[in-house]
Amino acid sequence: MQAFTVLTSAAVPVPIAKIDTGMILPGRYMRRHRRPGHDYGEAFLHDIRFDENEKPRPDCALNDPAYGKPEILLTDADFGCGSSREGAAYAVLDYGFRAMIGPSFAEIFYGNCLQNGVLPVVLDETICHRLWADVRKSPGITVTIDLPRQIVVDSDGNKHPFEINPLRKDRLVQGLDDIDVTQGYAREIAMVEGRRRGSYPWLPVTSQA
Amino acid sequence: MPAARTLFENVWDDHVIASSQGEDLLYVDFNYINEGQSFLAFDQLRLEGRKSVRPEQHLAVTDHYLPTINRQAGIEGIANPEIRKVVSMMANNAAEFGLPHIHMHHRRQGIAHVIGPELGISQPGMLITCNDSHTATHGAMGACAIPIGGSNQLRHVVATQTVWMKRPKTMRIGIDGTLARMVTAKDVILSIIREIGIGGGTGYAVEYAGSTIRAMAMASRMTICNMSIEGGARIGMIGPDDTTFQHLANCERAPKGAYWDRAIGYWRTLPTGDSAQFDRELTLDAAALAPMVTWGTSPEDCSPIDGKVPDPDSFSDPERRRHVARALEYMQITPAMPLSEVRVDRIFVGSCTNSRIEDLRAAAGVLKGKKASVPGMVSAGSSEIKRQAEQEGLHRIFLDAGLEWRDSGCSSCNGSNGEIVGPGQRCASTTNRNFEGRQGRAAMTHIMSPAMVAAAAVTGRLTDVRHMALA
Ligand code: SF4
Repeated sequence: MQAFTVLTSAAVPVPIAKIDTGMILPGRYMRRHRRPGHDYGEAFLHDIRFDENEKPRPDCALNDPAYGKPEILLTDADFGCGSSREGAAYAVLDYGFRAMIGPSFAEIFYGNCLQNGVLPVVLDETICHRLWADVRKSPGITVTIDLPRQIVVDSDGNKHPFEINPLRKDRLVQGLDDIDVTQGYAREIAMVEGRRRGSYPWLPVTSQA
Repeated sequence: MPAARTLFENVWDDHVIASSQGEDLLYVDFNYINEGQSFLAFDQLRLEGRKSVRPEQHLAVTDHYLPTINRQAGIEGIANPEIRKVVSMMANNAAEFGLPHIHMHHRRQGIAHVIGPELGISQPGMLITCNDSHTATHGAMGACAIPIGGSNQLRHVVATQTVWMKRPKTMRIGIDGTLARMVTAKDVILSIIREIGIGGGTGYAVEYAGSTIRAMAMASRMTICNMSIEGGARIGMIGPDDTTFQHLANCERAPKGAYWDRAIGYWRTLPTGDSAQFDRELTLDAAALAPMVTWGTSPEDCSPIDGKVPDPDSFSDPERRRHVARALEYMQITPAMPLSEVRVDRIFVGSCTNSRIEDLRAAAGVLKGKKASVPGMVSAGSSEIKRQAEQEGLHRIFLDAGLEWRDSGCSSCNGSNGEIVGPGQRCASTTNRNFEGRQGRAAMTHIMSPAMVAAAAVTGRLTDVRHMALA
């Protein structure tokens, strides 16, 4: 997992409330292999970005080249609600975002993003609205997210503190995902495994399935 | 003397490797994998170059997307390309990661939650995971069986054979007394969910106990544990006893020879001690229960069959009132109408809740010598159960009644394999979820026991099976 410390990037707004995981990753993309060069980026918010004839919607900021290559997505309330569709977090990541800033995120989606190195930042609604206005006025201006100090710095230099679970913060800053952390317990795992195998040698294995 | 402990504590604590920031790192004795979203986990593992550390402690099972007809034509015979792709991805991922796989042609093919206990892989005292909400089914064996997510968590289990979990609180639901004729485990668990609500078990590991549970066969215990999640609990367990051991004694993968005696010795230490404390306790009188049916779009929306569809205004909680009003609108039924006047368009007997041989016998017992007045399907939970049913001649009863006799799989439970209930169609079903669109877009689901579904098949409406003449 890529470490996340300080990110300075253009930010692009998608100011629609209650965008659910089915919009983030439409069902028709859901059963698709995810591999390099064939990832979920194309699926990300597809039906918000394109109309029925696959023509880019001009009113969607994601289609506006003036924003350059933004790595920060500005979202509205309850982003990622709906089913627990885990591929939705991959769609955000594969499209190229490293962080999101919004007034609220659905809980499961929030957790899935952190697991995959995408930082969702919750800020007060009025601050979010101000950020939208700022970047719309001058598309391409940058916002900074400083995870170690837990602040967002807007283009005027105003600092907005945010909350994050210390465990999650730690892992993200170090670029450790849960598997890396768990592998740090290799000795303890081997001990429990050895004890169980020793005491209960009949525990099932499926080698001959 | 050490304080008496609960079954859950005995099992969970024996698997704790470490604790950090409110979560325990748990050793996973065994993990079942279905094709659902698991390809996401394997894609990610492949991208990261990670392997499975203990492939022999996994079993991949193709159950969710596999059609229950036309199996002889193989993967190529699956008409829908999306479904075909998911089925073949499971086969490829299992092969690539070295995981044993119960594939579509395997002689033990079936629903993971049915075949695990059937093979005797799921045993008392084990910690079991599966990327499916209904994993608690294996808890009927006295295991601690926990659902995990199909992507991140599954990836973690495959790569480390462990899982991080917050330790739940404990709840005991005691059910005592004798169930009346035609009142089944399904009616017990629906009554419990009605009582505690869909959030009632959230954050708890539930133990089902009491004389009613003790008297139940394993199939019934599995039906109860299976629907723990519908009451909000991810873990549901039943203390292992002689019924459990008798079941295991006949299972292919259960301990054999000298191990058998040692295993039983250990398993007998697992049940909850007499004075053990639970964070929450509640009790239910079995004798007071009647056959239940759901009328709404949440499993707690259920009532005894001899009752009426409720009036939304009869609920004091405004949120519940709004939900019920919306549910009745979706279900196209009017408040205060007798449940027995609700007509159905089709029936389904199957799913990990009610597809064991005992369930098929119960449905066949009602259908014997009768015709179904609506179409429907019967899908055994495993190929082994299907063979057994055919040996007993149950399939003849279903076929003679005019129903379809299918291969085993999840099928119409959630329709991932394409076997959906049509839009605007109403289905009497032995499954576990009745959310809007669960069995297909705009499909309406009424959940009930296998005998009650069989009764509905005969009359074409929700029917009190207790009043039905049996052949
Ligand atoms: S039968 Fe239904 S509930 Fe059970 S595992 Fe399959 S889809 Fe899930």
